Amino acid sequence: MGVIRPALISALAAWCGATALASEVRLSGAGATFPAPLYTRWVSEYQREHPDVKIDYRSIGSGGGVKAITDKTVAFGASDAPLTEKEIAAMGGTDAVVQFPTVLGAVVAAYNVPGLNKPLQLTGAVLADMYLGRISSWDDPRIKELNPGVALPALAVTPAFRTDGSGTTYVFTNFLAEQSADFKGEVGTGKQVKWPLGQGGKGNEGVAAVIQQTAGSIGYIEHNYAVANKIASAAVQNKAGKFVSATVESVSLAGEGAATGMKGTVLRADAWNQPGEKAYPISAFTYVILYRNLDNIKAGADARALMAFWWWCIESGGKYATEMEYAPLSPSVRDAVAKALGQITHAGNPIPAGR
Amino acid sequence: MLRWACRLSGLVIAAMLAALILVLANSALPAIRKFGAGFITSSEWRVNEIERPLRGPDGKVVMGEDGVVMEILPPAFGALPVIYGTAATSLIALVVAVPLSLGAALFLVRVAPRLRIAGPVSFLVEFLAAIPSLAFGVWGLFVLAPMFQNSVAPLLRRILEPVPGLHWLFFEKITVAGRIIERPIPLNGRDLLTGSLILAVMILPIITSVSRDVLRSVPRIQIEGTLALGATWWQSCVAMLRYARSGLLGAVLLGLARAAGETMAVTMVIGNNNQISASPFAPAQTMASLLANEFGEATDGMHRAALLYVALILLVMSLAFNVVARKLVVGRPSHAVH
Repeated sequence: MGVIRPALISALAAWCGATALASEVRLSGAGATFPAPLYTRWVSEYQREHPDVKIDYRSIGSGGGVKAITDKTVAFGASDAPLTEKEIAAMGGTDAVVQFPTVLGAVVAAYNVPGLNKPLQLTGAVLADMYLGRISSWDDPRIKELNPGVALPALAVTPAFRTDGSGTTYVFTNFLAEQSADFKGEVGTGKQVKWPLGQGGKGNEGVAAVIQQTAGSIGYIEHNYAVANKIASAAVQNKAGKFVSATVESVSLAGEGAATGMKGTVLRADAWNQPGEKAYPISAFTYVILYRNLDNIKAGADARALMAFWWWCIESGGKYATEMEYAPLSPSVRDAVAKALGQITHAGNPIPAGR
Repeated sequence: MLRWACRLSGLVIAAMLAALILVLANSALPAIRKFGAGFITSSEWRVNEIERPLRGPDGKVVMGEDGVVMEILPPAFGALPVIYGTAATSLIALVVAVPLSLGAALFLVRVAPRLRIAGPVSFLVEFLAAIPSLAFGVWGLFVLAPMFQNSVAPLLRRILEPVPGLHWLFFEKITVAGRIIERPIPLNGRDLLTGSLILAVMILPIITSVSRDVLRSVPRIQIEGTLALGATWWQSCVAMLRYARSGLLGAVLLGLARAAGETMAVTMVIGNNNQISASPFAPAQTMASLLANEFGEATDGMHRAALLYVALILLVMSLAFNVVARKLVVGRPSHAVH
């Protein structure tokens, strides 16, 4: 493939350029808010090279993205949580769907504890018990034990959570449920769950507002959002027993371990709690969802333009991802994605790989 | 020609309301069919399914032949917490706002004209009504809540916590894995009480301005009559309020309708937790804030239908308040007092 692709790419580029000049291509996508800044960046970088392709991405949330692609009102959907069996069935079954990861993100446990001299270290079990109400003060012996030498105040713990359905909640609850059987039995996992206590906020900004304004609060937000807003977050213990902070490198490492199970056209892999000394444990892929036969897009040229864009993102988008604190896909995951994208057709005609 | 145009406009508005109710009811139908009236009395609101070990009455895990017996809790939708949240915030808001509003209305009708400031004060009251609710929310979030967290709450806790019988104000009970844990409520100003206070500020203008108009329509002869009978100024004011009571009740109901439907400001300060807690210092949720929080991402069919069911209940409730209020305000004032 490596030999054939450059030739194909240049041939296609010439061909695409010739046809696309005739008319402008307009495509729309909708879904997850987490990768939205990156997708917007990808679109604008891509448009620099292909000014005739206009792609509009609306960040309406993962749930909304799945609904939009199921209803065929968009060219592509995007979701932080992989499609469920039910959702795949609603789209026409496994054979009708292509789902592929684009980048990895991380969910961080952000906190507002005044007067700390060092960043906190937490485990999944302790986080779960904070959310279950069992650990109600920051000077609890179990938090002290993980943070020797840190002066922890006798301050009430206020857990903060997302009230809207979100991939962030999906990743965080799955991670906690794996660490705590009681959390799994009381709260469970999902894009939206019933929290036994604490304060709700809508979106990352809602949770961040609770955290920033409430002394003693702990909440889960996207890594990028925490970085952009300079909110302190904890190093979390990974499967190897090491405390790791979320960084582009530590999240990428989590993705590498998770990639082995990716097969077929509906790719998914749980990237939380992966082995590896330096892997950040609350990591996850974010996905783009397409129809395998792109009949939701009328013109063949539009379908080819969409695929050219995604090929470009997978091959050349990584550097923009790193710049923006997203973790790019590892080579093995990119291979799985390339295989899945190669399966896509329009009106029964295969769409060749490349730009 | 013009008459027909007017009739048509009237019809369109009536049809819009009817269509709104019909569409809501139709979209909520799956939830109405599944939960019926029990929707209103059930207090569990959980979108996800939970699989967990079954526990017996003693709180111990039940063991079967092949190990632990599992139970599956399907998603549950009960509106009681949000109905409670709406009722409680609206009532507290009324308790705070009604005395203030009636006082302000009396001031505007009986005192301000003499001082020649009725105009400016009326303008200020109406201006308050024109402030977008988001502005109130931001004020609640950045001023009221921190103030409560930093100054009011520690004081309240110091004074009230030692008082016997007030323990419930500051502690909440949570059931985890069959055991009940009691923990202190973090008093951080995002709770039922703050939500109610924001609502109180927001419904002040409407209750004040309607009350003012109602009081103005009290015949002058009534007031002069009471004064002629030797009533003091204060007694004549009370007589005036009694004379206008049905109109004033209407004003209060209009305030209640606004409080019940208010969304953004409340969502920002109420803490957004679908729970019923005895303490006003615990986070809560209203019907409107539930919709604001969850509707955008509600993709599951039953979840969406349940939210629309809540919306339908809210619409019918607000409509009922408004109809009764209009009747009371527009209807003839009571002649019971002489």
